Amino acid sequence: MAETQTQVSALDAVVKIRYLDDTNAVFSEQDGFLSLKTTQPNEEGADEEQTYERVFLHSAFPFDMPYSYISVLDKDQKEIGMIRELSALSEATQKILRGELGRKYYAPRIKKILSVKERYGFSYWRVDLENASDFSFTVQDTYRSMLKVDHEHVFIVDVDGNRFEIPSVEALDRASYKKIELYL
Amino acid sequence: MNKQTPPRNSNRRALIWEQIVRCLPELEGKTPTMVLSSDLTVADCTPQIGYAALVDDVFYIIEHERERARYPISAMTEFHATSGIGEVALECLCDGRLTVLCRGDLSHQNEYATIAKRINHYIDTGLFDPEYDKSYNRYCPKCGRKYRAGSNICMHCVDKGRIFSRLWEIARPYKWHLLLSVILFFAITGMNMIGPYLNRLLVDEFITPMASNRFSEFALVILSMFVLRLLTKLVSWGRSMSLIHAGNRIIVRLREMVFDKVQMLSISKISKRTAGEIMQRVTGDTAEIQQFIVNRLANIVEQLLILVGISIMLFIEDWRLALMIILPIPICSIFMRMFWRYTHRIYHKQWITNAKASTVLHDIFSGIRVVKAFGMEHYEMERYDKITYQEAQISAKNERFYAIFRPLVDFFMRIGEYFLLVYVGNAILGGDMTLGEMAQFSSYVSMLYSGPVFLIANIQRMLTRIYTSIVKVFDLLDEDVEIGDKDSAKDIEIVGQISFDNVHFGYDDATEVLKGITLDIQPGEFIGIVGKSGVGKSTLINLVMRLYEVEDGAIRIDGEDIRDLSQECLRSQIGVVLQETFLFSGSIYDNIAYAKPDATRDEIIAASKIAGAHEFIMKLPDGYNTKVGEKGHTLSGGERQRVSIARALLHNPRILILDEATASLDTETEKQIQDALQKLSKNRTTLAIAHRLSTLRNATRLIVLDKGKIAEVGTHDELVRKQGIYYGLVMAQRQMSKMTHDN
Repeated sequence: MAETQTQVSALDAVVKIRYLDDTNAVFSEQDGFLSLKTTQPNEEGADEEQTYERVFLHSAFPFDMPYSYISVLDKDQKEIGMIRELSALSEATQKILRGELGRKYYAPRIKKILSVKERYGFSYWRVDLENASDFSFTVQDTYRSMLKVDHEHVFIVDVDGNRFEIPSVEALDRASYKKIELYL
Repeated sequence: MNKQTPPRNSNRRALIWEQIVRCLPELEGKTPTMVLSSDLTVADCTPQIGYAALVDDVFYIIEHERERARYPISAMTEFHATSGIGEVALECLCDGRLTVLCRGDLSHQNEYATIAKRINHYIDTGLFDPEYDKSYNRYCPKCGRKYRAGSNICMHCVDKGRIFSRLWEIARPYKWHLLLSVILFFAITGMNMIGPYLNRLLVDEFITPMASNRFSEFALVILSMFVLRLLTKLVSWGRSMSLIHAGNRIIVRLREMVFDKVQMLSISKISKRTAGEIMQRVTGDTAEIQQFIVNRLANIVEQLLILVGISIMLFIEDWRLALMIILPIPICSIFMRMFWRYTHRIYHKQWITNAKASTVLHDIFSGIRVVKAFGMEHYEMERYDKITYQEAQISAKNERFYAIFRPLVDFFMRIGEYFLLVYVGNAILGGDMTLGEMAQFSSYVSMLYSGPVFLIANIQRMLTRIYTSIVKVFDLLDEDVEIGDKDSAKDIEIVGQISFDNVHFGYDDATEVLKGITLDIQPGEFIGIVGKSGVGKSTLINLVMRLYEVEDGAIRIDGEDIRDLSQECLRSQIGVVLQETFLFSGSIYDNIAYAKPDATRDEIIAASKIAGAHEFIMKLPDGYNTKVGEKGHTLSGGERQRVSIARALLHNPRILILDEATASLDTETEKQIQDALQKLSKNRTTLAIAHRLSTLRNATRLIVLDKGKIAEVGTHDELVRKQGIYYGLVMAQRQMSKMTHDN
């Protein structure tokens, strides 16, 4: 135990991760773009402000912790800092950030699988999405295009790279489940 | 992602415009410069039907089929596409403010990037490429589905007849063999049907009447049966031989065609497909076709002939009986098919768990050092136990199912025979049929229900499988050879003057890697190309070798456009050492002599000496005969690099291209090779890329590339004095080496 302790502090000493929260960062949104104002003590100890006109978000664990450990990047994709826990931020900020993450990680959810047809190495899917019914997409090499987060949670990736999410295959109706069963 | 209703028309552009005019009637009668579609809302990514168009220098945006915004193009600059994980947005600066114009799912990625590039070009020059959408608007004219990248065949609409007729074209030279096989097929079927007839003779003529006085005739029938069986085997053998002969020749021909095609294709076409995929086409798919011709086709023809032959025989003998036997065949086939589908499903599941288990096993054994180093043996044991247990369970369940249902299926398949027996028995008792006839009939029935029923149940699956392979092979064979020699292609003796004339190039339509390179290189010059990673250095030399075709502008060697030279002439006079040194399976000698198989041993040793390879080769027990490559001796990165330098030097090229050729060498060896190359490069034009700037200290001129353009040109001293990009690179490296020295 003592060993682990020293190890952790050692890692921590070498790399300083800059965590952003309500005390040192203000996010705002304009015209669908996220901007950021940070404050950080400089070498003399005085607060130094910096403004980023456009920042990007990138989730470190998009599958199992989509709202934790979110990297905030500047326009050249350089990391400014990380948000450890989205829910620890103010309501207003959360709303802005969730909106931005929702856009970037757009992955419509599948409610029901209407049909899956295999043909010459491709499969043609017709599904009901949460926000559109009878939607169709094409998948190449179906078995390998299943991003399995765990035994229940699956993303289907189509030929263009779009992702369709099934939060729980077991929660699907039986007819839908039978159609997807062989690819799991 | 396909839209709910894909436009069933190739002219997607016209269709989009039609929709735009419907939403914005004021645009009626105008001609758009550009149109595009979008399917997500800008604000929150909800699905919608939207469009955008550039008409008379005004950019119109339609969302939810209503106008959302319009901007004059004069206020817009810096168009670009920004991709998220599941969406892409077309953005620009509008009056200096960042603005999202439209958003779509990832199927729009190429579309938006291309449009952004085209509009920027339009803003700069006032020119808009009328064919702007040809790289991404590739839809099947028949069904409106999008073509798969790198393919020109719509898998949905491809004409099956045409595909099989093309296979026939390849098979045509072997038509006599195939014809012979067909004749032998008829012979075999005929003989198969004579067998039961002889049986009937035996029963009716000799056994039932107990005719003991006709022994010689009896013996003759037995002898005929024996000869018939022997003959059947012989003819089957002949048929197999003739089919195998034809099948193998056809496949060799097809394989050669595919392989030649791959060799002819430009790198850009090849790199669209993975090496594995091409291997699959050359070996896997052609093997599938071979299997089909040699085995399955024979089976299909044989079973069909049996089906037809027996049906005819039965109808001639007794049409009611024939109907009783034949009518249930389709029903049985459907039943078989259902059973087969279900078993396929459960066994497929078993196969998947099986594959998972072997992946785990493979992981553990290839990573055994890591497993042991971290003391994870028990964890891995548990992991493997769990998955094998799972596998065993599924397997047991499947075996249980099979053990119960297979006999049941067989039983039901034969249930018709009992009905038949009732009918036939009645007929015999009534004196309408003989015992021998019954024997003949029941032989036919079992022949019918063993082969053709199975065939009908599976023929669709067999045809789909072979058909997929044929389509894939022809898809590759139909690919255009992008870089070909002109009919008037010249062969010249290269002196070594190279000029770039406003060269533009991008690997795809969406991004431009080189943006107007103009440069003159004199014969014998040593040109060093420097710049950050991804700036286009390797692209530049790929273009000189004409692995890709320039998009705009021209590259000239000794005043001749390289497109007017034969590729053979060009590449035989350029020596290349690439960063990724590839050695073929074979000896070191084979590898050095690769580009000049007629080289003398003296030449090979000389080339190796210059490349600094001779010393280490002579330390190997087998010298130049040492086997390298996949199953041979493993050379280090630096050794491989020296072998490939020797390979490039061997044919005494007029132009020498070195792409990070000495990067894996230690500084001392590098210096030796540099000095040797220096002596050698006297009358040779040399283009060298290097990150380690000291490598280029012998260069007559340095070219600094930045953002696809030439940023600085000059000698080392000139560029250092200039204190520009090159100076920055030198300083950074100096600091690095200082740090290493300090340590």
